[in-house]
Amino acid sequence: MNRRLLVVLALAGAVVIAVAAVLVAFAHDFQPFGRAEKLAQVATDGIWIVTGLIAWQRRPGSRVGPLMTAVGFVEVTQQLYWNAALPFTIAELVAFFAFPIWLHLFLAFPSGRLQTRFERSLVTSTYAAIVVFSVFSQLSWDPRSDPHSTDCPNCPRNLLLVHRYHGLWSALGTAGVFWFIAVLVTAAVLLIVHVRRSSGATRRALAPVVLAAAAAAVLLGAVLVASAMGVPTEGSPLLWLADAAFAAIPIAFLVGLLRMRLHRSAVADLVLELDSLASPAKLEGALARCLGDPSLQVAFWLPDAHRYVNADGDAFDPAMPGRALTVLEHDGTRLAALAYDAALVDEPELVEAVGATATLALENARLEAQLRAQLAEVRASRARIVAAGDAARRRLERDLHDGAQQRLLGIRLALRLARGRVSGGDAAIDELLAAADAEVVGALDELRTLARGIHPAILTEDGLAAALSVLARRAAVPVDLTVCRERLPAPVEATAYFVAAEALANVVKHAHASRVSIDVARSNGEVAIEVRDDGSGGADAGGPGLRGLRDRVEALDGRLRVESPATGGSRIRAAIPCG
Amino acid sequence: MPTTVLIVDDHAGFRGFARRLLEAGGFTVVGEADDGASALAAVETLQPEVVLLDIVLPDIDGFAVAERLAENGDERVVVLTSSRDSADFGQRLERTPARGFIHKDDLSGPALARLAADAP
Repeated sequence: MNRRLLVVLALAGAVVIAVAAVLVAFAHDFQPFGRAEKLAQVATDGIWIVTGLIAWQRRPGSRVGPLMTAVGFVEVTQQLYWNAALPFTIAELVAFFAFPIWLHLFLAFPSGRLQTRFERSLVTSTYAAIVVFSVFSQLSWDPRSDPHSTDCPNCPRNLLLVHRYHGLWSALGTAGVFWFIAVLVTAAVLLIVHVRRSSGATRRALAPVVLAAAAAAVLLGAVLVASAMGVPTEGSPLLWLADAAFAAIPIAFLVGLLRMRLHRSAVADLVLELDSLASPAKLEGALARCLGDPSLQVAFWLPDAHRYVNADGDAFDPAMPGRALTVLEHDGTRLAALAYDAALVDEPELVEAVGATATLALENARLEAQLRAQLAEVRASRARIVAAGDAARRRLERDLHDGAQQRLLGIRLALRLARGRVSGGDAAIDELLAAADAEVVGALDELRTLARGIHPAILTEDGLAAALSVLARRAAVPVDLTVCRERLPAPVEATAYFVAAEALANVVKHAHASRVSIDVARSNGEVAIEVRDDGSGGADAGGPGLRGLRDRVEALDGRLRVESPATGGSRIRAAIPCG
Repeated sequence: MPTTVLIVDDHAGFRGFARRLLEAGGFTVVGEADDGASALAAVETLQPEVVLLDIVLPDIDGFAVAERLAENGDERVVVLTSSRDSADFGQRLERTPARGFIHKDDLSGPALARLAADAP
């Protein structure tokens, strides 16, 4: 920051304001404004300069301060309007510049930077249009004989007048008004978009500005309506209120900026809070509060995987358009990155201070996030193993069906043909063929049972409900089956089927039950499978069969519960999430 | 009683035995096909009265072949067959336009003739 420049500008501002105030107080009569009104405007200009310089000093990296200061200087220059030729000419030359500077300031607040290419084009073209217009009008306008605006024979001379040509005013007049209104409406829309899109720090900074500007606009509208209706407004409370609202705008800008800075004291609070933080998510919340940006996200660096994860351990890329990024390191090792509202970017030192304060907590949180990421990886690989196992089972069932089973069937048909040929002949051969056929039938039955146990084809083709109804029909115990008809993801269907099949097999083998019920219901994003029997109970929940089922269910993030008291009756219940 | 039959199955061994078994049962086997697409083509050219159609085929399955034939307004007798139990196909067997299902274990000339003679 150039401190000397600020001091010079402060002195220049004081001088210009004082001169303007003296001129306004003691020089000419003003139309259509009263003297007090004019003095109020000078005071407002002074407020712009003072608040602008404070903003400049507090936020040296931002354009907000210089723009606010410029508004003050440009506006006050116009108060020198009536006096000598030089200030008059300068005032005329810069008179219209207040507009693009206001535009620039409103659209760039609070970051000091125009965010989109459209905004940059709008502001640049407005500056350019005002330069062209001001220069041409200044070279051709003679205030002493202007037929279109104030005919002002006593006005000072226009020092830049080259050739009197008042046609320019009329030519540009109407188009200029439309252009002005269009730019104004566009700017208002952009400002509304800013407020709607912004979050946290930006919104807190924008709020006072939008409030003050809206109040000023409403009051100015009221004054204009009153004037149009012939109500005298000069010296009226309404006019003073409007003046006060306009004077409040620069103060609102400064308050907005300072509200963003107030969070510096929050670093101290953070130090106290860090001790009691338990999780990466809580750390993220604490940092967000401290920097005043609820949208702040912490990306934890996993050095081995060479990627970032969020507080939950999910993959996360913190580099996003419109978001600022600060990478935090400790002893040259990357710990984490903070992604936050770009409006905070002018205070990188605050972000770094927060990062430095939180180093230890961040390291802990990073380790925890890393653990979560690894856990997620293990979970995913467990689910993949189950899915691969299912695929292998399906292939095996298909291979058995296509291979051995078809050959055995061929043998059966051949035996049937042979029996047809020898029927009525040798009884011993016929008997032998019948015995061979019975063997083949037995082999086929065993093969089918084996294949079905590996992976029933109907499960793939028709789903869980159909597969379970076949299972129930074949069971050696009567089964009451209640099952939802909708199709579920293949791994969920397969797991639910195997839970029911294994439980049912256990009942048949060990429980001596007279009835079994199987219920499959879907609710709250999970499928619950419950198998109950009225048998002898006492099933071993740690046995290999149930252990395998539990692994399978847990691989899908589900839970398996076995209740099998020695007093009798068993209940096996699995709950599996399914989207 | 219909006499001409087309055997559709992807196992050449099974087709061979089935041909001999059905011929012994009084049918004339006019052709064989080893997948769904060639079955549809063979029906077109050979015009068999009965199609013995395996359900599990390498391209489109037997249900789909039966549906295509029905869509074409073809009213010849289609009998599905499989080495799996009918229960393994659940409701698909109830929905199919095919005349009936015969387990491969139970395949014989008289069994096929009985199904073919049933009114649709």
